[in-house]
Amino acid sequence: MIRPMAKVRIMGPKAELSAVLDALQQLAILHLALPRQREGLSIEPSSPRSERRRRQLSAALQRADLAMKALEVPARPLSSEGAAVVESEGTTALCRAVRTAYRVSRKARGLVERIGSLEEEGQLLRKYRDLFDVFGDVLASQQRWVNAAGFEVIIRATDDDHLKRLRAALQAEIGDSFELKWKRLPSGDIALLILVPESLRSRIEQWMKSTDLEEIALPEGYEERGLAEAIPAMSERLREVEAQLLSLAEERRRLASSEGPRLRQARASLSQRIERLDALAASGRTEHAFVIDGWVPSEWVQRLKSHLKLRTSSSVTVAELGRESWKSENAPVVLSNPRIFRPFEAIVRLLPLPRYGSIDPTPFVAVFFPMFFGLILGDLGYGAMLALLALLLWRGSERESLRRSIAEMIGACSLFTLIFGALYGELFGDLGHRWLGLRPLWFDRSEAVLPFLGLALALGLVHILLGLSLGVVTAFQRSRKEALGKGVAILMVTLIVVALLAMFEILPRAFFVPAVVILLIAFPVLVVTEGLLAPIELLATVGNVLSYARVMALGTASVMLAVVANRMVGSLGSVAVGALFALLFHLVNFALGLFSPTIHALRLHYVEFFGKFYSPGGTRYQPFGGSAGGGMINR
Amino acid sequence: MEILWLSLSAALAVAIPAIATAWAQSRIGPATAAALAEKPELSATAVILVAIPETMVILGFVVAVLIMLRAGG
Repeated sequence: MIRPMAKVRIMGPKAELSAVLDALQQLAILHLALPRQREGLSIEPSSPRSERRRRQLSAALQRADLAMKALEVPARPLSSEGAAVVESEGTTALCRAVRTAYRVSRKARGLVERIGSLEEEGQLLRKYRDLFDVFGDVLASQQRWVNAAGFEVIIRATDDDHLKRLRAALQAEIGDSFELKWKRLPSGDIALLILVPESLRSRIEQWMKSTDLEEIALPEGYEERGLAEAIPAMSERLREVEAQLLSLAEERRRLASSEGPRLRQARASLSQRIERLDALAASGRTEHAFVIDGWVPSEWVQRLKSHLKLRTSSSVTVAELGRESWKSENAPVVLSNPRIFRPFEAIVRLLPLPRYGSIDPTPFVAVFFPMFFGLILGDLGYGAMLALLALLLWRGSERESLRRSIAEMIGACSLFTLIFGALYGELFGDLGHRWLGLRPLWFDRSEAVLPFLGLALALGLVHILLGLSLGVVTAFQRSRKEALGKGVAILMVTLIVVALLAMFEILPRAFFVPAVVILLIAFPVLVVTEGLLAPIELLATVGNVLSYARVMALGTASVMLAVVANRMVGSLGSVAVGALFALLFHLVNFALGLFSPTIHALRLHYVEFFGKFYSPGGTRYQPFGGSAGGGMINR
Repeated sequence: MEILWLSLSAALAVAIPAIATAWAQSRIGPATAAALAEKPELSATAVILVAIPETMVILGFVVAVLIMLRAGG
């Protein structure tokens, strides 16, 4: 559900503004709103000085963020003690925060640049590592030659004849006055050293040009030395680079542990000060008084009043504005659901938040999403694997983290997969039936394809009718006529289904005529209340129900893949090879079984279900003072 | 002879929408990837856009199953 909000107005003498802002920032439950301009009340535009100050603080905050990223300091909220320190800080502490942000970011940037440049150099040198190994031996022979010239080349040779052809070509050019040393590289190419008398150097250079043979290009700084000298130097440099990288990584760890807490503190100070400047700009002022408007969860209005009473003088008043004085669409949104549904808020949050006053679909998603997932995957074996995966993700995850939410969602999906697995009698496809004599408690979906299709469509109908009913509730708040139109649409969808079922004699045929008659009567009502496009929308809704056939299609495909995997054991000659292939196939099917039902269950919710009632466009609740991790909600 | 035509129809019922889906997704995929690079908050929209054409092949599969059931019956 969406937590009910109250709009409050805080007023007092102008001299108290600073103390009030301090108190509000410490409590961190008020989402600020611009007060409506009235006669005598002005929202003062920021002065150039405060604009400049904000820019400077934002730049420092950006530096702090960069430094935290470079040093891999986690951006977790401050402890309550740390937050209290931030709240009590003055100008000196702020200057210290700015200095810390700049100083640490300078150091971190220097470190990151050095690490980056060494990593780049290391990567380049590592490309030559194979050459070091191969040419190390080959070049040893070059040392024994006096007045000799060496040419090092790499050739892409598919067979040894290539080398023979090269030798023959060289022989034709300069007779027997050469020596050829070669070794195959791990990549399959051949590293080749051609040794010739010094007097033949230019001739060989010309010959190489004509045959497209190219000497190995050495990296910058080594070109002048020749391969014989360059290779030991490059090997030595690579060792140095690797040692330096290790020492820099250690330096980064030391810097992160020594400066991390200070950096987090500085970041909190800076973001709080920026928030404070923004709050000041959002407060309305008269000649002697100030006005601050904002939103607070209804149940916390009393808490806000008591806090301000304690922290400020009695001349500051807090008034809750009547519901008639504000519009729903301006209120910020906080999703607040029971613990069991909360992980599924992550699915709703992938879309823009619902508007205040509309319906939060989280509880419905929490029921239908894992149900559709289980209907599709429905297998005891895969369900157990999924439960194991959920457990692995859950262990070591932090409370309220995305990882914890994903683990809990997977847990719910695994539960439904196990339930439907038992109902379908599936354990890794038909393996349970073949080995353990497992029988379906409900129906075998690999055989009963049509009943499975009927089940998928029936569930789709229920889901769509639920969506349409929620649409009626949402529409009722805006206009009764619109709500009536949506109600008629629900009736017509139901009647179309009844008429179809009666036509195919699934329901008694006697239902057909009354259903059609009522449909004909309801049709003009629908057009009058919902407009000329309503019949098209009605057809689209029927199409939406058909879209749930995907549950059956994907489910059947999933069980068939599992059955094919099991058949591999006996069909590949060797039992061991067959079992290995079956295992691989089951793993692939499991991976598909994770991905495909998720995507399609999401789509059924986002397109078919949400489309009937969801009103996106809500503003996220961002309490003043919440940026440093303080505040009621975060605490 | 009838079984041949029914089998061919079932195969085409899957094959043609599969090609259509593949073509549509080949267009949508790069476009959504580019959009996500600039606006990661559009991930839900991206999922919807990529999954929409799959409806064709899924319904094609359902039709093929119905044809095959007729062939079996």
